[in-house]
Amino acid sequence: MSSDDGEECLPLSQRPEWADVRPVPQDDGPKPVVPIHYRENFREAMDYFRAVYLADERSLRSLNLTSEVIGLNPGNYTVWHFRRLVLEALNADLHEERDYVDRVAERFPKNYQIWHHRRWLAEKLGPKAADKELEFTKKIFTIDAKNYHTWSHRQWVLLALGGWDDELDYCQKLIENDVFNNSAWNQRYFVITKSPLLGGLQAMRESEVSFAIKAILTNPQNESPWRYLRGLYKGDIEQLLSDNQVPEVCLQVLKSGRNFLFALSMLLDLLCFGFQPSDEFKRIVEGLTNSESSSSDTNLATSVCNVLETVDPLRANYWAWRRRTLPSMVC
Amino acid sequence: MDRSSEFDKMRHVASLELMMEWMPSPYESQEINRLTLAHFAISGLAILGALDQIDKDRVINWVLSLRAQPKDKAELEKGEFYGFHGSRSSQFDRHDGKDLVPNGSHLASTYCALAILRIIGYDLSSMDSESIITSMRQLQQHDGSFTPIHLGAETDLRFVYCAAAICFMFNNWTGMDREKAKEYILRCQSYDGGFGLVPGSESHGGGTYCAVAALRLMGFIEADILSKSTLWTTINVPLLLEWCIQRQGVDGGFQGRANKASDTCYAFWVGGVLKILGAYHFLDKNALRRFLLSCESQYGGFQKFPEDATPDLYHSYYGLAALSLLEEPGLVPLCVELGIPSPEII
Repeated sequence: MSSDDGEECLPLSQRPEWADVRPVPQDDGPKPVVPIHYRENFREAMDYFRAVYLADERSLRSLNLTSEVIGLNPGNYTVWHFRRLVLEALNADLHEERDYVDRVAERFPKNYQIWHHRRWLAEKLGPKAADKELEFTKKIFTIDAKNYHTWSHRQWVLLALGGWDDELDYCQKLIENDVFNNSAWNQRYFVITKSPLLGGLQAMRESEVSFAIKAILTNPQNESPWRYLRGLYKGDIEQLLSDNQVPEVCLQVLKSGRNFLFALSMLLDLLCFGFQPSDEFKRIVEGLTNSESSSSDTNLATSVCNVLETVDPLRANYWAWRRRTLPSMVC
Repeated sequence: MDRSSEFDKMRHVASLELMMEWMPSPYESQEINRLTLAHFAISGLAILGALDQIDKDRVINWVLSLRAQPKDKAELEKGEFYGFHGSRSSQFDRHDGKDLVPNGSHLASTYCALAILRIIGYDLSSMDSESIITSMRQLQQHDGSFTPIHLGAETDLRFVYCAAAICFMFNNWTGMDREKAKEYILRCQSYDGGFGLVPGSESHGGGTYCAVAALRLMGFIEADILSKSTLWTTINVPLLLEWCIQRQGVDGGFQGRANKASDTCYAFWVGGVLKILGAYHFLDKNALRRFLLSCESQYGGFQKFPEDATPDLYHSYYGLAALSLLEEPGLVPLCVELGIPSPEII
């Protein structure tokens, strides 16, 4: 009689199948600190768990008891550890166990121990478990598309068990659903750099730059595609400087006169790396400055910092520091 | 700095003193790491400069009672970690002569235990640290990361941080391979400059703190590196700095990841990184203070968001820690990389 869904149940002390067990109370010591006001069913379940754990009773009723305790407190890693011992001793059907874990994970999607148990299960079931694991994580993402544990698990499944075929498409879909979902952008980066089916970062760069730029132009205030674009040139500043699409997208956003904060900070970084701007850049940025403070002697990078100090006042101190610490040869 | 809105210290003291004696039932789900809850309450009171009401012997006795001890040196070699349990729920009496019941002591609980003892004024050098330091090596993985318990658990940056903090507090680095840990940390730096909890995962405020604070504790980053023109051979500092500074939102609070809502605790996690880098003055302190006070509960403690109804101990502690970083009058300064008040000042 398991209750992994938290329903009201007869107390363990009144259940005939537990009549032979003497529950072991918690010995908190004489003056415990931060004592928790346990509910009666919680206290009782833990007392019975202690009994079977100490007796090392790896039975079906023990398994059901761990389900009850997990339902009350999924964070108790001792209980999960014992559950794994019992599952092995009973040679339990791990597909049924996976169904159980599906239900518990939906109830407690932000619990570390459940995801760890899931990983243990998937390792035991082997590569054929990949599909179900990927499917399950997708299910969680329909409720919370940014669940950190779920993304970690999905990445682990791909690396350990495979299933890369549709991953880029899946990222595409998630980004289409919510272009501000930074987790989806991170996953996209993970796929293009780690997937054995794609050519790696360099091979994917061109198409991914186009993808990022399209997203930037649609929502220039979205931090994710800007970071992603920059990330496509990780460890390759030369390529970043020689690829004129990057300054071009900055220019386009600046020309629009709106939502240009990230365009400005990207331009600043390019200038610090040695980018040689055209006059058009200087004109556009000058148009954004307070005409009292601008001067024809001011270099572009300094002007950019001045604008940022004004239009991004939250980070004014940071932009002032950037201005003071500009490389000497910067334009 | 604008301090026109009041920060009511005494409300927080009262709330934490109550929690020392009585935690409501919803905390059952954190039962396994009661030591962590104790750390938040005691360290919180320390930040508030209100430790004098605490019965220090009582705390010391309770904390020490959670320690796992090997029977002998031979047992120490068998692969178990002998640290502190988070609570009685992972601590079982072993049967004489039987190895039936493995000890369930935990790396994070060990960090919390040592943090509490240090704050209370217990002399850590008088403690037998050997079994902790020796056995914690078993928890380090081939890739340099740490698992928190030898029974098997997730491995990520949180436990690399705990390991570094433990070694630091004992001033004994034989407990871990620092180089390997550093390599793992470097692999966690994402393409946007922040750090994920494991390599490949999304940049995250908590992960970033664990990475940078661990590197600092291990001696791989100098203090105030921004003011020195050192070549940054370890991590991409400019990208990290920009990532951190962009976490402050228009509401003044800090978010844990790009395009997510501001949350009290990231004022410490991300603010702490900025402090370690010597870049704390880059953030907007007035705006941050306003946000934190908007997350203050009328009952004492802090909520996750302004709209939340209930405070919780975790956000309460990190809310206080964040206010300490802001140098709120009446609050004790922190040792940022340890995440606790500096004992010299308490």
